[in-house]
Amino acid sequence: MAFSGEDEHRLPSALLFAGLILALTAPLSVLMAGRETHFLYALAWSLFTASMAFGIRFTGRTATFRRIFFAVSALAFLFHLKHGLFTGGRIGYCIDAAVKATPYCHISMASFLPERIHQEFIAAKIGMWPVFWGPIKLAAVWLLVTLAIGRAWCSWICCFGGINDGFCAIPRRPLLKLGPWAFRLRDLPAALLIFMLLAAIGYSMPVFCMWLCPLKTTTPFADPENASRLVQYALAFVGVVALALVPLLTGKKIFCAYLCPFSAWQALWGRLNPFRVSADPGKCVSCTLCTTACPMNAMKTGPEGKPVPGAYCNLCGDCVRDCPHGAMRYSIAGLTLPPRNGVFGSLLTAEYLYVFAALTLGTVFSALWGPAALKDLAALFGFN
Amino acid sequence: MAALFTEGFLLGLSTGFYCLVSCLPLLLPYVLAEGRSSWKTNGFILLQFLIGRFAAYMLFAALATWAGKAGQYEMPGWVLPASLCACGVLMMFLAIARVRGLEAPCLLKKDLGPLFKRLPVALGFATGINICPPFAAGLLRLMGLADFARGTVYFCGFYAATSLFMSPVLLGTPWISNRVREIGRLTLLLAGLWYCGLGLAGLLR
Repeated sequence: MAFSGEDEHRLPSALLFAGLILALTAPLSVLMAGRETHFLYALAWSLFTASMAFGIRFTGRTATFRRIFFAVSALAFLFHLKHGLFTGGRIGYCIDAAVKATPYCHISMASFLPERIHQEFIAAKIGMWPVFWGPIKLAAVWLLVTLAIGRAWCSWICCFGGINDGFCAIPRRPLLKLGPWAFRLRDLPAALLIFMLLAAIGYSMPVFCMWLCPLKTTTPFADPENASRLVQYALAFVGVVALALVPLLTGKKIFCAYLCPFSAWQALWGRLNPFRVSADPGKCVSCTLCTTACPMNAMKTGPEGKPVPGAYCNLCGDCVRDCPHGAMRYSIAGLTLPPRNGVFGSLLTAEYLYVFAALTLGTVFSALWGPAALKDLAALFGFN
Repeated sequence: MAALFTEGFLLGLSTGFYCLVSCLPLLLPYVLAEGRSSWKTNGFILLQFLIGRFAAYMLFAALATWAGKAGQYEMPGWVLPASLCACGVLMMFLAIARVRGLEAPCLLKKDLGPLFKRLPVALGFATGINICPPFAAGLLRLMGLADFARGTVYFCGFYAATSLFMSPVLLGTPWISNRVREIGRLTLLLAGLWYCGLGLAGLLR
């Protein structure tokens, strides 16, 4: 939705939108940030996201402000995680000690959940249920978020996705273009997911964390055996290259699109959620600019060359932004809401309802590390 | 004899889940990659796989009996990792040759050779000779029996029970489409790499 000079309610509506986000996220962020972080840091984090909401409504540039929020959130995650490791501090995005049990990262959850369920089943049989509260809580949160925003998890919440997204936005023009092979390998995440499900069940270990995770966020991974450890480091390096370097060269989210099993998991379950990006066939001239813009290589060509967002579309909105004819739009199960006037009425569109849900959940989730990162930053400059 | 068959069957029933998780990373990608949305086709693949596995079990029954008779309770350490490696290479070869759009190696250009038409048998055999914990328990019992006929009956019972655990791989049959086959081939490639890596690690140790 591009900025329109005729939108007389732009400023009050943007203020209302930001106010709604702030009112909802501030108390929840304080709650999520926990007792170890002063509530002012959580409030600052909520103010930051409210400013993003203001920007989205005021300028109509959803994709741009989404990217700023997403990249800053990922940067905060990375900073807090690594700061915690180097200073011996608490890795503060855990909710409680039980969550620290491997694995609690959502990516590993995709391939390890059945194994966890099996363990809980065995525990229940001997009256010891639940064994691990952390993964159960994470699974519940995942389900809630998936029902609310579906595949947008990968474009608003995931810390890995934020890093990938931030790097692929840096080059003005991609230095490398992906060939047709990129489309042939588009189902690699689904294959990785199936393989990791089987291997995780078969070998009772978090295969993704141990072998592929570029950030090594959860598991003490290093194998005591030298050759295996070397392979682990090599694969983690491949992950880092896919996370940071290749997106810089190609402008595509290579890690998310080709190496993340969770993107396939979310593509499957994200269908439960009604928010979609779709093309208006009446306005579309089949220029394929949206296909070029898609950082996930998720756009397929339908009848008469019209674009059809595929299962891996994570609703980032880059195609909506880049479409010169306004043919790409957010919808609710393919339907748009009738236009309304007024300060509040103008917010009742599929796009703003989607942004409201995604930004609210993104803020609350990132409150697990965002306020803590602000605190780390303050401590770095001598403020406590 | 009936008591021995039952003993083997019960061991298989109680430990079959471990057999399933040992064979599943290989069998499921293969069924996804090469199967059809037809119960008959996929059932035939499973049957071939089970025949290969049966051959491996009987071979082991004979070897274990012979070893038991000779008082030899060890086998060369390289056999298991080498079989894993062979299994991995077969899977990767098949996956690379079948991934859409890639040029197949010259040997496979016309058609898959007779060996590859019976690949499920070879894969079943390769997984059959990989010793999982329940299989090892059965082997020890066989060595103790040191009698080919009784050992065969015991292992037949064990094989029959563990084979029941393989049947869930057919559950996805109605959903197998061209796209699922593509995903299956990529999974086959990944699983092949994994088996190869495991085998090589075992050989180098």
